Amino acid sequence: MKKFLLALSIPLIFSACSKNNKQVINASGSTTVLPVISTAAEQFMKTHSDVKIIVNAGGSGVGINQVGAQQIEIGMISRNITEKETSQYPKTKFTITPIGRDAVVPVVSSEIYDAGIRSLSINQLAKIYRGEISNWKELNGPDKEILVIDKEAARGTRHVFMEIVLGDKEAQAAGADLVLGANNEEQTAIVQSDAALGILSNAWMNKDVKGLAIIMENGEVIEPTLENIVNGKFPIIRDLDLVTNGEPTGITKEFIDYILSDEGQKIVIKNEYVSIAK
Amino acid sequence: MSASQNNIGKCYVLVSTYLSIAIVAIIFVVLFLSSYDAFANIGWDLFSLEWNPSKDKFGILSMIYGTVSVTFIALGISVPLGILTAIFISEIIPEKYRLYIKSAIELLAGIPSIIYGLIGIAFFSAWVSSFFELPTGRTILTAGILLSIMILPTIVTLIEDALHNIPKKYREASKGLGLYQFETITKTLLPIAKKDIAGAVLLALGRALGETMAVMLLIGSIDRIPEPFYNVLNPGQTMTSKLGREIGESAFGSLHFSTLNAIGFLLFLIVITVTIITQLYFKKERRL
Repeated sequence: MKKFLLALSIPLIFSACSKNNKQVINASGSTTVLPVISTAAEQFMKTHSDVKIIVNAGGSGVGINQVGAQQIEIGMISRNITEKETSQYPKTKFTITPIGRDAVVPVVSSEIYDAGIRSLSINQLAKIYRGEISNWKELNGPDKEILVIDKEAARGTRHVFMEIVLGDKEAQAAGADLVLGANNEEQTAIVQSDAALGILSNAWMNKDVKGLAIIMENGEVIEPTLENIVNGKFPIIRDLDLVTNGEPTGITKEFIDYILSDEGQKIVIKNEYVSIAK
Repeated sequence: MSASQNNIGKCYVLVSTYLSIAIVAIIFVVLFLSSYDAFANIGWDLFSLEWNPSKDKFGILSMIYGTVSVTFIALGISVPLGILTAIFISEIIPEKYRLYIKSAIELLAGIPSIIYGLIGIAFFSAWVSSFFELPTGRTILTAGILLSIMILPTIVTLIEDALHNIPKKYREASKGLGLYQFETITKTLLPIAKKDIAGAVLLALGRALGETMAVMLLIGSIDRIPEPFYNVLNPGQTMTSKLGREIGESAFGSLHFSTLNAIGFLLFLIVITVTIITQLYFKKERRL
């Protein structure tokens, strides 16, 4: 009898969990956009108790693919959608809504920063990623081999960086030593090393992961500050976007409107990105 | 029990069995169909070095190299370690401690692989990099060593069982002939358990080939064969880590997606071959 009751109770437990017919929004993609959306989702769910927003990481490429295959409602992307990607999904009408701006910054381990490397030119960065410069000594740094960290091919940060540094968003980096994925994975690798160079979103720097300024062709040194991102002086900047299939409707539209509202834009700023509202 | 109940039972068992077989068959067919594009369009170029989906270059040689070398390192460490541990548990310590030590080692098998990966990233790779004075601890060797720990329980348990199952009379006969314990183990017990040891190694090989999470986090994920090729203190890429990193990024139905499926298909073929060899090996064996 006991067993029978137990068996009876199992479907009850499941139905108790799934009985509320909440509206669900699935979002996934760029780990750069992720902190903003997950905070916004928390806030949004506080005021909309009938909505459930599930936020996943994976990178811009994953976001685009899943929106393309119509598996999710919102893709988070931090780069443009390539033509190849658009042509893969003829049935999907990719619609982009910018929600903020960000810079992609070359970052180094704090040991390298403290040894005096504070800025690099685009040309120097290109040489490092092509494998033509492989020791910090050649850049007046310590005599250590550069641990060059590259990112997975479909990552937004990589597209934006390679477009400007190597002239092609899908360029191969022959000088790379490691290929990593998410911002936090790369952050860990840079902290663990004492001679690493990587590429990160502006919001992911801390005391162990230092951002470098860029030396422009006219000799001007541009620091990766919010001000320089706002006025467009910093050379490697990008929009942070949400992508949907067609114009967002219903609850998805409400959520995106919330992110675009003053309150939502405050979350963007709090995550150290630049608000799109002027 | 009535005859009809018996029939229902039979039916149920039969359906379950066929279902299990069907699942394997379906996976095989689906993998083959979705990787067909890759085999048809890329052909033998699949076994080249350059991987660049944006230029339709799909060479998986560096991943095959990574899988082979990581597995080789893992087995190279865990096989001797596993055999010695099994001998110790089965032959040397008193019977009453045997189960405690054995279950402690078997606990290793219960730890999820992502946890191995996290420990590997947080501590192990840092140790490797400072010990060998490397720029990064994410190397083929690191992944191989971690993998060896992960497959150790399989090897120890199976070999220990094999040794333990050898009837007492063999040990007594050896003793009666005046052999030392060392000689009993090397000259009598190990030769008898030879086939079981080989079976254990093949099973562990299967697990090592398929392990993904821990290896993916630790290997550095760069599609390159180090120079010289035996320098395993360099980052690399395995077939599984490539799949783990890129399958989400590839558009469904694209050549990229199909090639990743082809990698999975090849891996599946390798594992099936290993399994079949293991099965045949055990079939021929006559129990004592």
